[in-house]
Amino acid sequence: MACRIINKRRHVGLQQLSSFAETGRAFLGPVKSSKFITDEGCHKSVLVSSTVRLLESLDTTSAVGQLLNEAVQAQNDTYRTGATTLLFLAGAWSRAVEECLHLGVPIPIIVSVMSEGLNSCSEEVVSLQVPVHNIFDHMDSTEAVSGLETVSGSSLPQDLSEAISVPEKQDLKDDVPQLATYSLSEKPGKSPKFFKPQATVEAGKNTSQTLKNLHTDTCFRKSVLIHSRHFKRTDNNQGICTPNRFLEQCGAATFQTYGCRDLVELAVGLSHGDGSSMQLVEAAVRLQYQNACMQPGSRAAPFMFDISRLFTFCLPGLPETFSCVCPGYITLVSISSAAMIQELQNRPIRVVLIEGDLTESYRHLGFNKSTHIKTVLDGVKLQEDSSEELWANHVLQLLIKFSVNLILVEGNVSEHLIEKCRHRNQLIIGSVNGRVMQTFAEATGAVQVAYITQVNEDCVGSGVSVTFWRNPLDDLDRSNRMAILLKTEGISMITAVLTSPVRAQMQTKEDRFWTCAYRVHHALKEEKVFLGGSAVEFLCLSHLHILAEQPLQKGDHACLGRLHDTSSWLASSLASYRPTVLKCLADGWHRYLSALLCNTATYSSELEASTFVQHHVQNAVDSGCPSAYILKEYNKLNSGIFNLGISNKPEQIPRVYDVVTPKIEAWRRALDLVLLVLQTDTEIITGLGHTQINSQKLEGCLFL
Amino acid sequence: MMSCLEAKKPSLCHREPLTAEKVRTTLAVLKGVLTSCYGPFGRLKQLHNGVGGSVCTTSQSAVLLRNLSVTHPVLKVLIASVQNHVSCFSDCGLFTAILCCNLIENVQKTNLATATAIKLNKRLLNFCTNYLRSESCGCRIPVDFSSTQILLCLVRSVLTSKPACMLTRKEVDHISTLILRAFLFTIPESTKNPIILGKSIIISLKGPRVTDSTVLPGVLIEIPEIQLMKTLPVRKSSALKVALFSTSLSGDFSDPGEGSVVVSYRVSLENAVLDQLINLGRQLVSDHVDLVLCQKVMHPSLKRFLRTHHIIAIDRVGVTPIEPLSKATGAQPIGSLGPVSPSSYGSVKDWHSAQFGCKHFFHLIPNEAPVCTLLLCNRNDTVADELKLACQTALHVLQLTVKEPWVLLGGGCTETHLAACIRHTTHKEPGNILQGEGCTQAELQLIAEAFCSALESLAGSLEHDGGEILTDMKHGHFWSMQAGLPSVVNWPDLLSQCGCGVYSSQEELSWSVLRNTCHPFAPQTCIPHEALEINQQPARGLIVDCLTAKLSGLQVAVETANLILDLAYVIEDKN
Repeated sequence: MACRIINKRRHVGLQQLSSFAETGRAFLGPVKSSKFITDEGCHKSVLVSSTVRLLESLDTTSAVGQLLNEAVQAQNDTYRTGATTLLFLAGAWSRAVEECLHLGVPIPIIVSVMSEGLNSCSEEVVSLQVPVHNIFDHMDSTEAVSGLETVSGSSLPQDLSEAISVPEKQDLKDDVPQLATYSLSEKPGKSPKFFKPQATVEAGKNTSQTLKNLHTDTCFRKSVLIHSRHFKRTDNNQGICTPNRFLEQCGAATFQTYGCRDLVELAVGLSHGDGSSMQLVEAAVRLQYQNACMQPGSRAAPFMFDISRLFTFCLPGLPETFSCVCPGYITLVSISSAAMIQELQNRPIRVVLIEGDLTESYRHLGFNKSTHIKTVLDGVKLQEDSSEELWANHVLQLLIKFSVNLILVEGNVSEHLIEKCRHRNQLIIGSVNGRVMQTFAEATGAVQVAYITQVNEDCVGSGVSVTFWRNPLDDLDRSNRMAILLKTEGISMITAVLTSPVRAQMQTKEDRFWTCAYRVHHALKEEKVFLGGSAVEFLCLSHLHILAEQPLQKGDHACLGRLHDTSSWLASSLASYRPTVLKCLADGWHRYLSALLCNTATYSSELEASTFVQHHVQNAVDSGCPSAYILKEYNKLNSGIFNLGISNKPEQIPRVYDVVTPKIEAWRRALDLVLLVLQTDTEIITGLGHTQINSQKLEGCLFL
Repeated sequence: MMSCLEAKKPSLCHREPLTAEKVRTTLAVLKGVLTSCYGPFGRLKQLHNGVGGSVCTTSQSAVLLRNLSVTHPVLKVLIASVQNHVSCFSDCGLFTAILCCNLIENVQKTNLATATAIKLNKRLLNFCTNYLRSESCGCRIPVDFSSTQILLCLVRSVLTSKPACMLTRKEVDHISTLILRAFLFTIPESTKNPIILGKSIIISLKGPRVTDSTVLPGVLIEIPEIQLMKTLPVRKSSALKVALFSTSLSGDFSDPGEGSVVVSYRVSLENAVLDQLINLGRQLVSDHVDLVLCQKVMHPSLKRFLRTHHIIAIDRVGVTPIEPLSKATGAQPIGSLGPVSPSSYGSVKDWHSAQFGCKHFFHLIPNEAPVCTLLLCNRNDTVADELKLACQTALHVLQLTVKEPWVLLGGGCTETHLAACIRHTTHKEPGNILQGEGCTQAELQLIAEAFCSALESLAGSLEHDGGEILTDMKHGHFWSMQAGLPSVVNWPDLLSQCGCGVYSSQEELSWSVLRNTCHPFAPQTCIPHEALEINQQPARGLIVDCLTAKLSGLQVAVETANLILDLAYVIEDKN
């Protein structure tokens, strides 16, 4: 057993963490660059374009690598999104922590202040949440139109009328003339087009110029805010208010942004540059919604997007245009079954669901076969057929008895049996996903059984229809298999068919589809989204800068974070180190934003991007209320900070959204990981004889 | 057949193992590893096998010692006795191990005859135990079970001393309350003698946030979602009859061992066993059982048979919940396929299906039995394991406190206070300790100094970031201060409170640096009532330790140190 001290002068663990994280930098943001990973041993290579796949292919056997992998996997298993954010922030923050160590900040203080800082950020970003309500209320009306036009078409007029009506309702004394002059002088007489300047670059510049000129004026800042609905809601007269009151308001979570009320808008906002996958997801949600509406009693319960009923089916080789979603289950069967499918088409068939394998020798899990059993013959004539043959005949008889034509099996199926059944128009499909089985059980009334001998009339489901997915001769792949579609009346299952001419891209495509699907799932489930395009991260960054400036209140226990022991000198000297640590934490966000801007090719160099971020942070901090600044900038298209690489045609720029909990959890996990590594000072390698560790690794090891 | 005979190698014999340089260095390495883990600001250790196995991040002695594979017998003795202590008391493992290492080191430096040193160590240990158990003890607080204050402090102290749990203050408060509630659930309502505490099961759930953790009465059994959907039959308003099987109902036959079973063709053993299972099922049906729980696998046919008779059948419960289940339902685990005796059945009040995070549970609610489940959520795998262990320790410590309703002051104060007491007594009344043992006062002074500095450097191990440790000259408590400050500072302003939180710096105290040998003084015995009253405010919690665990730790440490010091020869069998 050996142990190695890992933080002598420079913390090795943190260094490892930041170098691991560096590998995932290219995956940050909507513009992702893929990577080829080549195995030098067997000369195989894989194309990866997501953090999860990257870590799967990297050698992460070192302790820190393992912990990182574990954290990313846990995030991915729970949310299916946010892995890249986690990876990058883990790297950025481990550098920030190294910086703190370099400055001589005691470790417990780093741990405490950083976790307090992130907590405070998570509370602060609530103000950038956008409610997602009643998204399915006007589903029918928007059904016909799809695509990007709907975004600007459906959401803006409503907001505009509200925004415009604000001054009248508010009855602002001194501000009204000023505001009115401002707004009307821009586009006199055409009030519904008030916000249109945003749609054209030139006018947008104009506005922002005006805004910047008046920026220092407190009164004006208020009038900008009037465009948000927040001011309509508050009943008290805005009049002339002091900057303090203003701060109070923006500090609280009263900032109501417009809310997202349309599925198209939501989907486009969450697509993060992957429109094609998102269109499929959107179509799947619509299908499921329609399906739910048709169910009896559907009005009683509000519609929930059930992602567990969504499946993917990958068909490499076909052009991308063949991607689609359809209700039911799609799978591949051998081409030799074509005749049988032809026969079974257009009539309801009966189905049996088998939980395990469908072979003669299969026994249920947990059954131990005894090996010491000998069978002897005592004068009885042995039947000629083998036991396999006997069993297959027995199965056939059962299937005929209950007139079953379809068997779905979770495990493997005996080839011999498939062959036999094919001649009798009985289709057996093996390796079916457990959730698919469950859905079929619900839709057909079938009961899953472990052994086919358990089947009786109550177990058989009915009403399944089988068809070719497309013309059978069109999509033959090399293995001579074809896709068929199984469905029943009102089945809630939806399969997304993903096609790609490039086989290597298939995995990426599937991953991206699921990422999009889960984003929509989380947004609908939580009924809220964040304003995206890194607005949230920007707010965190500015908020931390403000927090660092604020003096610490005496006796304020919340700021002690994880410093539980208040009697220690660390608690009393916390205040002096706090600004440094908070700034280092903010640097992590800064790196994140710069890398993001760099990746979207808005800026050629990291330095340029960093300067740009710096400039905006300064503005936001100076404004006294970063969230107001962000909301204002957000509505300006040419400001560039929150509109990254979605489209370069201004009139098509929709809002960008982000999921809430997965994002915050990714931050938390990243910081927890960094702090866990930071607090670790020794690596103990167990269970190995000294000789088995190679001498290179042994450097700096102590032995017990 | 050929056999090869080899001459036996002679055994190796090492004289006075402690004098060997190698032993000293490994002991120092071990001490270094353990010391750096100690206390709320302790550093963590990454344990892994170096070839890609799972990584465990911990600072708890139970995990560390379990994974340390040491070669030298001296270290083996040390680790084994600490592990033994931890398995009995859960808490104070690092305390024991570090104190033992310190004692060995300090006593060796004195160059006294081992026998004398051992004898005096025993005397000093006696003195400490007597003092800690006496009424006049100045570092002990009675536990008032009518309020939760001290108990919560105790739980909180256990949790905060494990930094790898990564809990924020709010989370510590939440988890402490849950632990205390779980503990209270295990106290039976009836006051029959003897009172037997119930069981609390801890289930770790990876994914949700820590603040989503909760305590539920009864037992939770994790089951796959699909199975849950199938098991939702009718609900009964009255109590449910439960049968609990610890044997496998999967339909396999018992292993014949070395021999083999010969059966004639056309006889199917599988069918025979299945028939027996169905017979068992029939009996369960006729006995009006409502719920069948099986530790192992149930044959699918039996399951379906039971289900068609509206009996809920749950298999693969696992071995851990069996005992709590038996306690909660009153059912006796059934170990055979033969006829079931009616006395084996138990009953429960109700059941629910529950979902936490992405997992589904079958929740059994007992009639009255003191059984509960603590559901601990955590984002991170390593942290979840650490937290689970910390909670188990806290629950155990609470149980120990019921037996001995006292707590010791934590945060290093007990150690410094004890050291001050020993110094004072050896100085003023050495006879009290010597009691005619035939040792000189000088010898006593030497060993007492070794013993006290072992205690004090143990308290000093709480500091990992270069701070200075002080002790006050009135109570002998532990104070921490930033190092390298100019000497002309107003100490009461710089220090806020002592390590355990009982005394505040504004009480006109005088301090001295702990490392410097100070003039012996009589630390104040008996904690003034007011000091405790002030500190009952929720904002300022006390740091307290379990008396039973700490006393045992002290004893184990001194006795193990004596044993190791006494080692004259190590005889090693090389064969």
